[in-house]
Parts: sequence; C-alpha cells; structure tokens
Amino acid sequence: MGWRQRSAIPDLGVGVGFRTPHVTHVLTQRPAMEWFEIISENYFAEGGIQRANLERLKSAYKVVPHGVSLSIGGTDALDAGYLARLRDLVQRLDAPWCSDHLCFTGWGGVDVHDLLPMPMTRESLAHVVERVKRVQGTIERPFALENASSYLEWRGSTMAEHEFLAEVAERADCGILLDVNNVYVSAHNHGFDARAYVDAIPADRVAQIHVAGHTDKGAYLLDTHSAHVRDEVWDLYRRALRRVGPTSTLVEWDEEIPAWDVLAAEAERTRAVRAEALGGAAAARKEGEWVTAS
Amino acid sequence: MGDGQLEQLQRFVVDAIRGGPSPVESSHVKESARGMTPAERVEVYREQFVLRHLKNLADDYPTLAWAIGGAGAFAALGTEYLGAHPPRTWDLQRLGADMPRFVQSHAKWDSSARAYDAARLDWAFMEIFDAPDAPPFDTSVLASTPEDRWPEARIELLPALRLVAMQSPLHEVRDAVRGGKEPAEPPQAEARVVVWRDRACFLRHVAIDAGAFDLLTRLRAGDPLGPACEAAARAAGEDAARFGERVGAWFAQWTANAWIARVRV
Repeated sequence: MGWRQRSAIPDLGVGVGFRTPHVTHVLTQRPAMEWFEIISENYFAEGGIQRANLERLKSAYKVVPHGVSLSIGGTDALDAGYLARLRDLVQRLDAPWCSDHLCFTGWGGVDVHDLLPMPMTRESLAHVVERVKRVQGTIERPFALENASSYLEWRGSTMAEHEFLAEVAERADCGILLDVNNVYVSAHNHGFDARAYVDAIPADRVAQIHVAGHTDKGAYLLDTHSAHVRDEVWDLYRRALRRVGPTSTLVEWDEEIPAWDVLAAEAERTRAVRAEALGGAAAARKEGEWVTAS
Repeated sequence: MGDGQLEQLQRFVVDAIRGGPSPVESSHVKESARGMTPAERVEVYREQFVLRHLKNLADDYPTLAWAIGGAGAFAALGTEYLGAHPPRTWDLQRLGADMPRFVQSHAKWDSSARAYDAARLDWAFMEIFDAPDAPPFDTSVLASTPEDRWPEARIELLPALRLVAMQSPLHEVRDAVRGGKEPAEPPQAEARVVVWRDRACFLRHVAIDAGAFDLLTRLRAGDPLGPACEAAARAAGEDAARFGERVGAWFAQWTANAWIARVRV
C-alpha cells in the first residue's frame, strides 16, 4: 500500500487560496469551488475575525492549512507553541493533511519570514528527516513538504533538490507538495532541467500540487504569485499529473490579487488542463476517494 | 560540507540578509547559471526582507507614519526599527510590538511626544485584532447581585479592549488616513480613547469622559468597584454621590458596547 492510500489522502479537485479580498464574496455567496487552502499562521490566534471567518469557511468547504513559518530545516529548536497551534488548527479543520516548505526561515531567534534554501547535504537531510518525524508525531496528521522557489544555491550541496526531497519523504514517511511553478522558477534560476525534476519525484508521495504565476526580474525569476500561470508551468503540471494521477491542485495568487471571477476562471482553466492531462474518466473526482498513482 | 556546517550557513545567510554579506562569506554561495554573483543572489533575499517588513510595519502604523511626516520618514524609521528589533516570531502581527518604546526612546522620532501617542494608538488596534474572544456577558448577574456586594465586585473587561490616553485626538487622524483623506492638524486637547473589537469583529474606537477612562483603568488593573469609584471620584474632584450617578450611566454604555466580559462578586 502506497503512502497516499495509507495516509488516506483524498483528491479534492481544484481549489484556490482563501485571501482577504474575496472573503466577503466567498462567505456570503458561497461560489462553486472544490476546496480552499489557508495560510496556517493567519489562523493561529485565539480570537478575532480570522478565526470567525474560518469557522464559516469550513462549514461550507473543505479547507487545508499550508504553513510558511515552520522552518523545518532550521537549526533553532522547533517552536513547541507553534506546533501546538498547528495541531489545534488541523484538528479544528479535520484537515486531511497539512503542509509547509522545505526550507529554513531564520537563525538565532531571528525569523526573516522567507523560505531560505537548504544546503542539499547528508547533514541537512538527517536534520530535516528528524524534524519532520517530530512534526508528524505532534500534529498526528499527514504532513507534506513543498519544494520552495530559490534564488541561491550553496556551494557545499552534494545532492539535487529532487533527490533530497524524495529521500526526506521516504525516510520521514511524509508527503510532498509539488509546486510546479517553483520547479520552473528554480530550474530557470539555477539552470537545471525542470522536466527531469518532475519526473524524479516519487509519484505516490505527492499529496498536492501548486500552480502559480511568477515575475521575470531579468536576471532571475521571482515567485510572486501575482499573475496567470505561464504556459511552461502548465506543461509541467500536465507532465506531473500524468505521473501522479488525480491530485488535489491549488491555484496560488497572493499579490495583485484579481477579482474573484478572474481567480475562479484560473481555477477552471486548471480543471481543463487537468482533464486534458488525465483523460476524462481518470479526471473524475469523488470526495474522499483514494487515489493510486500509476 | 561537514558536521555543524548547516548551522554556520544558516547564521551566514540570516546575518547577510539583515546586513549584507562580506565577500569572504559569500564564498558559501554559488554564482548563478545566469551570471548573478553570490552577493547579488543574497541581495534578492535581503531586498525581499526589507520590502516585506517595511510594508508590514506601514500597514500596522498609519497614524505614526503621518505623525512623523509621511511614507519617506516612516521608511527610515522602519529600517532603523528592523535593525534594532528584527522579527523574532513567526507571527508578523507582532512585528511592531516594540515600536512605541522604540519611538519614545529615540528623540529624533518623537520630538513632540505625538509619535509615541500615535504608535500606542496604532498598536492598540493591532493587539485587539486577534486578542482572545470572550463569551457573551451574562447580564443576569447585574440583577442577581445584592446591592451591598457591588463595592467588592471586580469587573473584567473584554480581552480585545485597550485604553489609550493621548495629548491630542489622534484617533481622528487615524480615521482620516485610513479613509484616504488628508487629516486636519489635531488640536492640543487631551483625548482618552477606548479601542475594542465588537461582537461582529469590527475594530472600533470612541473617545470617552476622563472620569470614565480613569475608572476603566482602575477596573482593568483589578481594583474592586467600590474603591475604584472612590479613587476615580477623588481624582476627578467630584462628590462621590454625583460620581456614582455617572457610573450608572457609564455601565449602561459599557454593557451595551459589550466591554464587560465578566463580573466577579
């Protein structure tokens, strides 16, 4: 039995991020959308509008938390208070999984609120594996690590990122959130083959896929989530789907957030690409259905 | 790369993002396939660090930004603040927690004390945004409590409520700035403002009487109702009986605004 089946990871279809400009529309009009992703840390507080909105959202939609501050690769101690809040959140949502990024976010008590790339070494790998196990043991839910976009590489790295991510997932027995836009951005910035990266990801570990837009800064691509998904990223999405099968997919749009109709249209396009990649029957989704990678 | 190098690299890049890498330390980073030098690659992160946190602070401190002269001055203040108080929590809501004290302790930012007032006002709104919820106040306790027990009652205020005393009505400035209007210069007139989150989670504020503010401050500190009223009446130079009449009217307003979380007798 593969990881996805053992971990009861459902295919939720295509969803979008739950973001401030759309809150009123979503909570009052309840537009058609298969699921929503939230930024975990925005919903850790014990009171206030965010918590109230989340209660309303989860009464109408499936909601999956996605973190940005766990710092799974950091050498500072894991924050017990943070983990307690994350555990509370996934339980309140009855989330089928939760996710964060393969990165570190600070050092020495300073949190730079960015997704800093890990050196891809055996030392790093052992460190991350140990911490993922502790996280999963605390939250008692499946946990998936996302490949982050990056803008620098460490000279001392001895492994490719896809090898590192695959081995972490295997040894820590966790999932992977495959962000195909991040693969594209990092491949461009570092000069590796994005298709080979996607082909090397263990299909049965992929809990979720992200698609998003990025910004060309000239000397590098920046993962801004501020635009439509580029054709090259759609191609990677198709390639990934053909390997991993029907998988929950999330359209990220976090800067210059457009009107709901534009975002909903991007989700609809994602559904069309997904259907095309998988073929009509294979793309059909049923709530709670287990998926098995081919 | 051997044992222990992971922490060393993390220290290097975090220090570099905060202050800029030295050429020697940049040797940890590869040149990019597209010709970016190690320093340029680190700079991508440093630039995002500054932009992200300055935007966050500017969103949190609109009144302060006005008080010190606008966006340009605030960017300079924010940069200094980030150097002295780098983010130390995952919670970006708390990024500006030290700003009022920082402004107060740097005369160039608070030559008129107005900046300190503005910072405290803005921070009050930040604190109530996600302060813990409180269950609805059980008003039956008002009717069921014997009259002779009221002096010893302790009044607990809403967790999402802050009391802000200022040397001028900067809450009016905040309203104007947030409404996209040019604020009028506020008069030199003391203002006492209650900032709170209502049951619908709207963030609200209202200026109140000096006596009411003083009483709320004493109740928040945990003083029993009787001694708190006596002290507030003395401070206001008012007769206790007359002050007591006003307290009755205030309580009606406070319960209507749901400022009272609990009464312990």
